[in-house]
Amino acid sequence: MRPRWRKVLSDLIDNKARTILVVFSIAVGVFAIGVIAGTYVIISEDMGVSYSANNPSNIEIRMDDFDQDLLNTIRKFDGIKGAEARRVFTIRLRPLGETKWTSVDVIAIEDFQENEINLLEPVSGATEPGKNEILLERDVLDELEVSSGEYLEVQLRDDTIKEIMVAGIVRDSSTGAIDFLSPPLAYITTDSLKFFDQPKDYNRLFATVEVGQDDDEQIRSVLADLSEKIEKNNYTIGRTFISKTHEHPLEPTINAVLGILMALGVLIVFLSSALIANTLNALLNQHLRHIGVMKLIGGRDQIIFRMYLVLLLAFGFLALLIAIPAGGQGAYALAEYIADQMGFSLLGYRIVPLSLIIQVAVGILVPLVAGFIPVIKGSKVTVQEALDGDQASAADDDDSADREGGSRFERFQVRSVQVLADRGIRIPRQMLISLRNTFRQRGRLLLTLITLTMGGAIFISVFNVRVTLHDYVEDIGNYFLADVTLDFERPYRLEEIKQYAHQDPRVTAVEGWSYASAEILFPDGNTAENISILAPPADSNLVSPLMVDGHWIQPGDIKKLTISEGIYDYYPDLKAGDMIPLKINGKEEYWEVVGVFKFIGLEGVLGYAPYEYISREQNLANRSFSYRIVTEKHDRVYQQVMAKELDAYFRDQGFHVQEATPGLSTMDSASESLDILIAFLLIMALLTATVGSMGLAGTMSMNVMDRTREIGIMRAIGATDREIIRMVIGEGMLIGLLSFGLGMILAVPFTYLLSAIVSNAVFATPIAVVFTPMGYYIWLGLVIILSSLASVLPARNAARLTIREVLAYE
Amino acid sequence: MADRNSPFIELRGVVKDYHSKAGAFQALKGIDLDIYPGEFLGVVGKSGAGKSTLLNMLTGVDKLTAGEVRVYTNGSSINLANLSENELALWRGRTMGVVYQSFQLLPMLNLVQNVMMAMDMSGLYHPRKSKERALELLDLVELEAHAFKYPSQISGGQQQRVAIARALANDPPLIVADEPTGSLDSVTADHIFNLFQRFLQSDRTIVMVTHDQGLMPRFSRYVNIVDGELVENGREL
Ligand SMILES: Nc1ncnc2c1ncn2[C@@H]1O[C@H](COP(=O)(O)OP(=O)(O)O)[C@@H](O)[C@H]1O
Ligand SMILES: [Mg+2]
Repeated sequence: MRPRWRKVLSDLIDNKARTILVVFSIAVGVFAIGVIAGTYVIISEDMGVSYSANNPSNIEIRMDDFDQDLLNTIRKFDGIKGAEARRVFTIRLRPLGETKWTSVDVIAIEDFQENEINLLEPVSGATEPGKNEILLERDVLDELEVSSGEYLEVQLRDDTIKEIMVAGIVRDSSTGAIDFLSPPLAYITTDSLKFFDQPKDYNRLFATVEVGQDDDEQIRSVLADLSEKIEKNNYTIGRTFISKTHEHPLEPTINAVLGILMALGVLIVFLSSALIANTLNALLNQHLRHIGVMKLIGGRDQIIFRMYLVLLLAFGFLALLIAIPAGGQGAYALAEYIADQMGFSLLGYRIVPLSLIIQVAVGILVPLVAGFIPVIKGSKVTVQEALDGDQASAADDDDSADREGGSRFERFQVRSVQVLADRGIRIPRQMLISLRNTFRQRGRLLLTLITLTMGGAIFISVFNVRVTLHDYVEDIGNYFLADVTLDFERPYRLEEIKQYAHQDPRVTAVEGWSYASAEILFPDGNTAENISILAPPADSNLVSPLMVDGHWIQPGDIKKLTISEGIYDYYPDLKAGDMIPLKINGKEEYWEVVGVFKFIGLEGVLGYAPYEYISREQNLANRSFSYRIVTEKHDRVYQQVMAKELDAYFRDQGFHVQEATPGLSTMDSASESLDILIAFLLIMALLTATVGSMGLAGTMSMNVMDRTREIGIMRAIGATDREIIRMVIGEGMLIGLLSFGLGMILAVPFTYLLSAIVSNAVFATPIAVVFTPMGYYIWLGLVIILSSLASVLPARNAARLTIREVLAYE
Repeated sequence: MADRNSPFIELRGVVKDYHSKAGAFQALKGIDLDIYPGEFLGVVGKSGAGKSTLLNMLTGVDKLTAGEVRVYTNGSSINLANLSENELALWRGRTMGVVYQSFQLLPMLNLVQNVMMAMDMSGLYHPRKSKERALELLDLVELEAHAFKYPSQISGGQQQRVAIARALANDPPLIVADEPTGSLDSVTADHIFNLFQRFLQSDRTIVMVTHDQGLMPRFSRYVNIVDGELVENGREL
C-alpha cells in the first residue's frame, strides 16, 4: 500500500476513540434522518393501501328496519358497486365478576365468508363467531379485559343478563373510524340475533360506489340519489356518512405527524451537518502537524486534500454501515407504532429506497460538505504554521484582522473583569482561564454552539408543542364538564330526574340536555356533513367554550346555533351572524350561526343550540332523554364510581337507563387522535434529545481531545489534575450553558413552526402556543450533565498522560 | 555537478519581519549569502539570533519580507518568491531534504513507511521501487534492523537518523538541517555528524544551523549570525 493510504488507514484505526466519535456523530444524524424518511414513506404508502385493503364502504346509511328486497334494489342501483346490509344494536358487556358495564355496538353480519365490505382483520382467536358467540373489535379491550375463549356477561335492553363466549378479537379499521361518538364494536352472525332478542331485519347499509371512490362530490351525489330512492320506498333515513376508499379517516392527524416528521428531518439534517463540521474541524486541527510534515517533504495541496477526502468518505461509509440498518429498523418500528395507534397495518418490513438514497446522500455528502472547509483550510496551511505555530491558532486566526478582533475581545475581557473587580465581584482564576479558553477559538466555539443550540432548540420546541397540544386537550375538557352523563331509553321529566338525583348528597347539579342530529347542506341543497347538535340549557355552566368568532347561545334563540370550527371545511368564509342551510327533523331550514367555537376539527362538526328551543321543537319541553350530572368531586375514579352507582340507583327506581358514562371518558374518546399526536411528539423529543446529546458529548470530547497538548503543558508547569479537570469542566459547562441560552431563544420560532404544522393539519384555526418550562429544565439538566461528563472523560485521559507523551502527541 | 565556484543558492538582502501583538520585529536584517555546491555550511548563532528564520527563507517554508532567494539548478535559476505554495512543496520535496531538531516523523507510520512517504509525495519513484530504496536508506543510517518499528519505539538519535534517511529519499542535491543534534547527547550527535560528512562525499550540499560554537571546526565553512545579521564569514579548509 502506498504510504499515503497507509497513513489514512492508520488515522482511522489507531485513534479508535476519535474514529468512533466521528463515525458516531455522523451515524446519529443519518440514523435520525433514516428513521424519519423511512417512517414518512412507509406511513404515507401503507396508510391508504392498508385502509383500502379492507374495502371500506363509501356510504353508510342508518335507517329504519329494512329487508332483503330493499337491499337487492340498492345493489342494482346505478352507481353502486356493492352493498351489504347489517343489523346494529347496542348492548352492555362486562367480564364475569365485574360490576362496570361497557356499551358496545353489535353488528350482525349475515355471512362472514361472503362479506366484501368493511372487512375484519384477525388479531387473536377466531375470525368468525359461531352461533351465540361474539367477536370483539380490539378497541373494546381498552374498556374491559378479556381474551378469546373467555365468557362475558351481556345485558340486553330489557335488563336480562346472559353469558356469551368471546370467539376472537378482530380489527375493523373501516366501520368505527367515522364516528367518534359511537361506542366500540362487536360482531355476531345473524343466527345469534335471537339470543339478543333482536329481529332479523337490517337497519344499516354499507355500500361502495362504482366510480370516483376517492371523490367526495361523486360519492355525495350517489348518496343523494340513493337516499331519494330509499325515501321513495317509504323508509326514513337517520344519518348518513361518506368516506373515501383510500383516505384513512384520521388522515389529518397522520398529515400532522408527517408534517412534523418532515420539519424535524430538515432540522436534523442541519443539526447533524453542524455536528459533523464541528467534529471534522477539530479532527483536522489535530492533524495540522501531519499536514505540515507532508508538505515539508513535498506534499502538494491536491495530494493532501485527496487523502483527507478519502478519510472523510471512510468516516461516512462507516457511519452508513451503522446508520442504514439501524435507521431502517427504527423507521419500521416507529411506523408500526403510528400505524397501531391509528388502527391500520403496514404492508411489511422493507427497505425504503428513498430513505436509503437520502441516508447515503447525507452520510456521504454532509461529511464532504461539512469537512470541505476544514480540509481546504488544512491543506492550505503553510508548513511554518503547521509545524511551529500554536496548532490551534494557526488554523483559526490565519489573518491579522482576526487577530485584531481577538485582542479586542481580550481587552474587553480584561476590562469587564476589572469592572467586576471594582464592584467587589471577583471571578475565580480557574473560571477566568475557562472563560479565556472558551472564547479563544471563535470558529470552533461558533460551530459547537450552533450544534448544541440546534439540538436544544429542537428538543425544547418539540416539548413545547407537546404541551401545547396537551393543554389543548385539557381545554377540550371545557366541553365535558359534567361528571356523569345519564342517558335514558325514554324521556323523563326534568323535575322528576332532578328530584331523584338529588337524593344522593354527592350530586350537586343536574341538567337535562336535548340532542338533535342534522345535516349541514351546501347552498345547492347537497349534504355537506352530519352535525350533532347538543342542546344544553342556554345558561348551562357545563360548557365553557373557546370562542373563535361571535358569541355563545342565549335562552331566547330560535333557529340559532353555535358551531365548531370544522364548519370552515365547508364554509371557509363563514362569519358569526351568517345563515346556513340545515336539514333537521327531515326539514330544510336556514339557521343563524351566532358563534364559532374551537374543537378538534377532525372529529367532525359539532353544534350547540339552547335546550329551550330544541326540546320544544321535538315536543319534549321540560323532558329529556339525557342528563348531565355534577358531583362533589371531579376526578376519574370518583366519576366512575358515581356513574356506576347512579346507573344502579335509577334502574332500581324503575327508570329505563340506557347508559351512565363518566365525563372524562367521553372527553378521552373525543381527544383520542390528539393523544396519538402527543405520544408521537414525545418519541420525537426523545429522538432529538438523543441526537442532541450525542452531539453535545461528541463535540465536547473533541474539543478537549484537541487540547491534549495544552493540558500536558499546563501540567508540566505545575497544574494539578484536579485543577485541570475543574478548568475543563468549567469550559464545557460554559459552552453548554451558552448554547442553552441561545437554544432558549431559537426554540421560540421552532415552537411556532411546529405548532403551525400541527394546528394546520388538525385544527381549522391556529391554537394558542404554550411554552412549558419542562423541556427547558430537562435540556438544562442534560446540558449540565453531558457537557461536564463529555469534557471530563477525555480531560482525565489527557491529565494521565506523561509530559513526554503529551509533548509528543500528534 | 555544477561549478564549485559559482553559487548554488544566492540570498540577497533578505529581510524578515514578524508581526505580533508586541508589534513588528525584524528577525533578519538584510542577509547576503552565497552557498556553493558541495560545501558543508554551518550557520552558528545564539538562540533567537534568527537561524531558523534564515533556514525557513531558504526552504521556502516561510515568506520573506524583502530581498531574494535564488536557487540554481540544471543551469537555470529559480526565485523562490515566484513559486506558489504548491509548486514550492513539490520543488522542495525534489530538491532538498529537511531535518528538524524535533525529527517530525509521522507517528502512525513505521520507519520504512516514513521514508517511503517522501518518495510518495514527490512522485519520483515507483511505489514498488520506493520500498527497496527506503530499506537501502535505512541500511545506510544503520537502522535496517528496526525498519518495521514505529517512531515511538526507538530512541531520539535513531529517530533523527530516520529523518535523515527520509531527507535523502528523493536523492536531493541539498540537505538543510535545523539543529539536528540539538536534542541529542554528544555521542549520538557525533554519530549524526559523521553521517552528514559521509553525504558530502556524494557531492551534496549541506546547510546546518546550530547554536553550538564547538561544532564550528566540523563545517567546511561557517557564518555567524547575531540579531539577524551575518557578522563574520570565513572560509576554512
Ligand atoms: N512566528 C514568529 N512570530 C514572531 N516572532 C518570531 C516568530 N518566529 C521567530 N520569531 C522571533 O524571531 C527571532 C529569531 O527567531 P529564530 O529564527 O527562531 O531564532 P533561532 O532559531 O536562531 O533561535 C526571535 O527573537 C524570535 O522570537
Ligand atoms: Mg531555531
